[in-house]
Amino acid sequence: MELLNHSRFTQQELPACKPILTPALVMATFIVIGITFIPIGLSHLSASENVVELVDQYDEVCIPADSPDPDVVYSKRIGYIQDETTDKTCIRTLIVPKKMKQPIFVYYQLDQFYQNHRRYVKSRNDEQYRDPSASAKTTNCEPEAQLSEGQPIVPCGLIAWSLFNDTYTLSRNDVALPINKKGIAWESDRTHKFGDNVYSKNFQNRSLIGGGKLIDNIPLNQQEDLLVWMRTAALPNFRKLYGRIETDLEVNEIIKVVIQNNYNTYSFNGKKKLVISTTTWIGGKNDFLGMVYIIVGGVCLLIALVFITVYLIKPRPLGDPSYLSWNKNPASVQ
Amino acid sequence: MKRYVYINDDNLAKDIYCDNRISNRKYTILNFLPKNLWEQFSRFMNQYFLLIACLQLWSLITPVNPASTWGPLILIFAVSSSKEAWDDYNRYLLDKKANEKEIWIVRQGIRKLIQAQDICIGNIVWLRENDEVPCDLLLLGTADPQGFCYVETAALDGETDLKTRSIPSACMGIDVDLLHKIKGVIECPSPNKDIRRFDANMRLFPPFLDNDIFPLTIKNTLLQSCYLRNTEWACGVAVYTGNQTKLGMCRGIAEPKLTAVDAMIDKLTGAVFVFQIVVVIVLGIAGNVFKDKQGRKLWYVQYPKEGPWYELLVIPLRFELLCSIMIPISIKVSLDLAKSLYAKFIDWDVEMVDPETGIRSNAANQAISEDLGQVEYILTDKTGTLTENKMIFKRCCISGRFYGNESGDALTDAQLLNAASTGSADVILFLKVMAICNTVIPVRSKSGTISYKALSQDEEALVCASARLRMVLENKNGNILDINFNASPMQYEVLDTLEFTSDRKRMSVVVRECQSGELFILSKGADETILPLTYSGQQVRTFAEAVEQYAQMGLRTLCLAWRKLEEDEYQEWTSMFKEANSTLVDRERRVAEVCQRLERDFEILGVAAIEDRLQEGVPETIEILRKAGINFWMLTGDKMSTAIQIALSCNFVSPEPKGQILIIDGKTEDEVCRSLDRVLLTTRITESESKQDVAFVVDGWALEIALKHYRKPFTELAILSRTAICCRVTPSQKAQLVELLKLCDYRTLAIGDGGNDVRMIQQADIGVGISGREGLQAARAADYSIGKFRFLKRLILVHGRYSYNRTAFLSQYSFYKSFLICFIQIFFSFISGVSGTSLFNTVSLMAYNVFYTSVPVLFSVLDKDLSERTVMQHPQILFDCQSGRLLNPSTFAGWFGRSLFHAIVVFVITIHSYAFEKSVMEEVAMVAVSGCIWLQAFVVALETNSFTIFQHLAIWGNLVGFYAINWIVSSIPTSGMYTIMFRLCEQPSYWITMILIVATGMCPVLALKYLRYTYRPSRINLLQQSERLGGPILSSGIIEPKSRSSLDKDIPTDSVYEPLLSESPSATRRSAGPTQRLDSVQSQSPPHSTHTRKDN
Repeated sequence: MELLNHSRFTQQELPACKPILTPALVMATFIVIGITFIPIGLSHLSASENVVELVDQYDEVCIPADSPDPDVVYSKRIGYIQDETTDKTCIRTLIVPKKMKQPIFVYYQLDQFYQNHRRYVKSRNDEQYRDPSASAKTTNCEPEAQLSEGQPIVPCGLIAWSLFNDTYTLSRNDVALPINKKGIAWESDRTHKFGDNVYSKNFQNRSLIGGGKLIDNIPLNQQEDLLVWMRTAALPNFRKLYGRIETDLEVNEIIKVVIQNNYNTYSFNGKKKLVISTTTWIGGKNDFLGMVYIIVGGVCLLIALVFITVYLIKPRPLGDPSYLSWNKNPASVQ
Repeated sequence: MKRYVYINDDNLAKDIYCDNRISNRKYTILNFLPKNLWEQFSRFMNQYFLLIACLQLWSLITPVNPASTWGPLILIFAVSSSKEAWDDYNRYLLDKKANEKEIWIVRQGIRKLIQAQDICIGNIVWLRENDEVPCDLLLLGTADPQGFCYVETAALDGETDLKTRSIPSACMGIDVDLLHKIKGVIECPSPNKDIRRFDANMRLFPPFLDNDIFPLTIKNTLLQSCYLRNTEWACGVAVYTGNQTKLGMCRGIAEPKLTAVDAMIDKLTGAVFVFQIVVVIVLGIAGNVFKDKQGRKLWYVQYPKEGPWYELLVIPLRFELLCSIMIPISIKVSLDLAKSLYAKFIDWDVEMVDPETGIRSNAANQAISEDLGQVEYILTDKTGTLTENKMIFKRCCISGRFYGNESGDALTDAQLLNAASTGSADVILFLKVMAICNTVIPVRSKSGTISYKALSQDEEALVCASARLRMVLENKNGNILDINFNASPMQYEVLDTLEFTSDRKRMSVVVRECQSGELFILSKGADETILPLTYSGQQVRTFAEAVEQYAQMGLRTLCLAWRKLEEDEYQEWTSMFKEANSTLVDRERRVAEVCQRLERDFEILGVAAIEDRLQEGVPETIEILRKAGINFWMLTGDKMSTAIQIALSCNFVSPEPKGQILIIDGKTEDEVCRSLDRVLLTTRITESESKQDVAFVVDGWALEIALKHYRKPFTELAILSRTAICCRVTPSQKAQLVELLKLCDYRTLAIGDGGNDVRMIQQADIGVGISGREGLQAARAADYSIGKFRFLKRLILVHGRYSYNRTAFLSQYSFYKSFLICFIQIFFSFISGVSGTSLFNTVSLMAYNVFYTSVPVLFSVLDKDLSERTVMQHPQILFDCQSGRLLNPSTFAGWFGRSLFHAIVVFVITIHSYAFEKSVMEEVAMVAVSGCIWLQAFVVALETNSFTIFQHLAIWGNLVGFYAINWIVSSIPTSGMYTIMFRLCEQPSYWITMILIVATGMCPVLALKYLRYTYRPSRINLLQQSERLGGPILSSGIIEPKSRSSLDKDIPTDSVYEPLLSESPSATRRSAGPTQRLDSVQSQSPPHSTHTRKDN
């Protein structure tokens, strides 16, 4: 009880720091933010500038369909892409705009593809992918859970079923440019998320065939395209790593890309792009952060400037008791 | 309805009436769960959470694991259920202890030991000294030959003094052994809760007595829970048992009080719910449209061609679940925790400990501290609350001679001492009345000194004073009084006591002088009830002047009178008195009528003036609280002049010419009406024109008429006038006045110390009891009990104000953080095909609500915007709380806007900086959550006024905790978040994104806050600035008159965006309430009053 009586906590008398928004403090804050943000933004922008990026949208050019009527185009394209027998090879040439130092990353980019759709993103069962004894566990995987006879599909679920299956073959001056597809998935996915003795079973065996197929005698965790694909993207436009080029590319070199255009983005008018890019400390090309940093920094400096001007023109002492309404002349209250 | 109790009849009563098992339990084991759940689910919020939790069980629509709602929900329910269960179990244990206590009763003529719960109506119960009375008993016999016994009734009414109880005259002289065999019938009312009345009759069966009916009163009873004291034994017959006893009937579960803040939060919750439904409907429609237009083309989603019948409902329900976090489940827990801490701070406060008695202040009701900060009216009792209730005999006027006028104390007045010792006849008679005409019990201690136990402080003061003047009341032995005057003993026999009631306002005794056998009636009472009763011819002018003069000094006056009685006059009267006393219906009025027959033709002996000093610090407290804009009403049973005098001396009203006292009086309806109209007119004029201080005074009689017939004008007057003095009011009138103010939507606080204040205390929004000399009854019924009136200012200005400010922030912040995360989910749905995907996983969502965002803000219960000293110096600052300026729809809109802005900032920056190859679901989610956590830490920091070590720990420690928890989760291989947080923390762009989110989110808020703070500061801001920059601020002492409309106009209504900052002046809580009422009253009352005037 004695302790309670004299505790500063119980008496609400703990020593406290009570900062107030003095003009100096606020102006200093804005100036500091402005001064630090602009250099960060600039360095970010320059890093982004240093990234060399080659983007080639090939979905439209790689499909023969010419008609003034968009509906006709649409149905022709779908007929083309769903036809298993046609050769879907497509050849593109790209010119390297700047010297690209290795490692150079090859991505495929899909636009308007909702990997984050509610029906899609939940349609997986991580336990089945990890544990060879859990192959029958297909909860959440509907409608790609089981064959009609009841055998479980491994890997189950819509995500695996819709695996991206375009392939790229690169060559430079008619010399093949190897793409290293090892180590493109996350280390943790290879070691923990997918088991090293889980093999695909009954995959793409239903009448409705989605995307790519898997090789049944290679464990799932070595089929890294699947692993990359199964890291679902949060946005409808996303890039996924296809592989790495481990040689430098010189300026103006011509790169020939042979594309097997298998994947159906035509039903939903999505886009497919091939991206070849270098990275820096910020990752790939992204001007957004740098721009916003510069804008925020600039605005903060501007605000500080305005505050200082206003303060100089119309100084107002803090805590002037004459502003208290009960100290004002009664007449002015009315 | 009557009940007949057959004494000592074992067979009859058993089945008709309940046994003596008392039960205070709310539940039984069987009904606990359903009943408790039913009670909990009667609250809207709980129903809402249950609905959400049930919907989540449907895995098709749930975005997250159902555990995220079930967990907290079950926890909340478990906590409040187990609290209830524990309380109920303790009640059960107490009941059990009382029920199984061993009691001696008489069965078949033999004394037996049984358990208290087996006592039946009609059983004779034997008690020893210091036993607790097990049920309501009618006293039959005591160890005292005169048939008296003493009881302590503290548990019943809180009065700590001993009370005398006597056996009915019928049982007088019955032998102890015969008491076992006594038979008879008692006719008594059905069980009721009136602990002051027991209007019953008794008839004993032969052979004990003839068929006479004997009246019984409360004086013949021993009520349950009293203790037998100073009496060797007593026995009585059980008349009420179990839960039907007077105590059992009085028990009742007080209705929980809802604070204005709670009501506002409920209202806002309702609005949020409506908003949520609108969002859900819009998104649901959008989702279904998207599905049909676009979704079916997404082959990888495999929408079935034909869905089930409920297909259209699936997407809206998903969004309902996604948006359910808009109403935060944590708000209830946070608020409950905060409220109990506010109550603890009151209990702990050493500055509110009564230095004399060491009594601490206590918050019995933990839930209403915020209301203290919003009090607008204080209704206060006078005696014992404003005054010390320590009566001291100060002056007197005997046969026209004033004593004590020079020295200020009659007891040191040499002339009076001289007159007493020489035996001046008038003085001796005066002293005799002082010593005899009372109900005081003299108690002689072992050392021989006599102390007096009295019910009324006035009587004690008179007896003590007479003892000092050598007229010593030495002993009271039954009806025989021993008086010692100047060492010569005298004996008087008290024949009848004509008791004091608040209607009669006088008490008399009929005594016989034992030596001479002469009969007298001695009387004392208020001047207006005694002075008209004089015999024709006596000049009462001097006495009236004396009364006037004493009242002017703020003294309580009593007129003392006497008359000789003739034997036959008395005999005739006493039979009437007996008859009146035995009536069952309307006894009090009948008795009063009979008493009046004897109380006539008095000879006035003199006037005694008793001082009741003001408590320490009362005037200052009232002045400060009046400055804080609180209106004071004084409700007292005292007479008008004394009341006005006290009111003036404790700053209720400013002295003339500034203050103006208007009196409403009149005996008839017309007089009261005219008087009321006149006062109203004057008040209106003074209120609108000048800053004069107007108070109206009304007495109980006029008040009765005004409340009955002229409610509207009286209500208007009540609203217009800052101060009111109501004198001669009864307890129920006090409660009625509270009701009246509550109906006008004012927050009322009633403060009192005695049993007569209990009703008003229970009625008011906040009841404060003073643990004073009139017992603990008021303190027990009250929400807060304090030792002295002066603590009230600390209770309101410090505790009430802080509680309100803290809760205002806490509740709005809880909504802010829920909105923040909810908006992000909504935005995300637009880039996920409006399919109702949750961006965040279960763990993040649950931890966000329960942990990350709740911990820092909980410590805002330590926040102090202004120091206690500043608040005390500038009590006017309370107005911001009273008008609800920190929590209202407009401030809420500010928080809403802020959360929308912050959600946009977090969402836009996250999806742009984590685009393309970085766009991994888990990473984007964690970036968004981190952004929210960082922002909310800075929001709390910006809104905190004073940082103690705890706040720093909570705000910044919480950030560290966030990372620690996520690192732990990220290192569990089976969790969906495996390695995510480590990957993010390694990326420079993650940290750059965080800094950008904080800067973009906080800079506009900071800039706006600064602009307001500097160029349009609120009163709180101004005081903060001057307090922290040093230098005292002088506040001129002008008491701001409470012209609410002008005050509200005074504050400019600002742009819409301004409420981003936490205070917004517009839209006070009351804006729609009293002002409208006031208008309607004003517009209606003039025709009304002219109408009545024409009638006259």
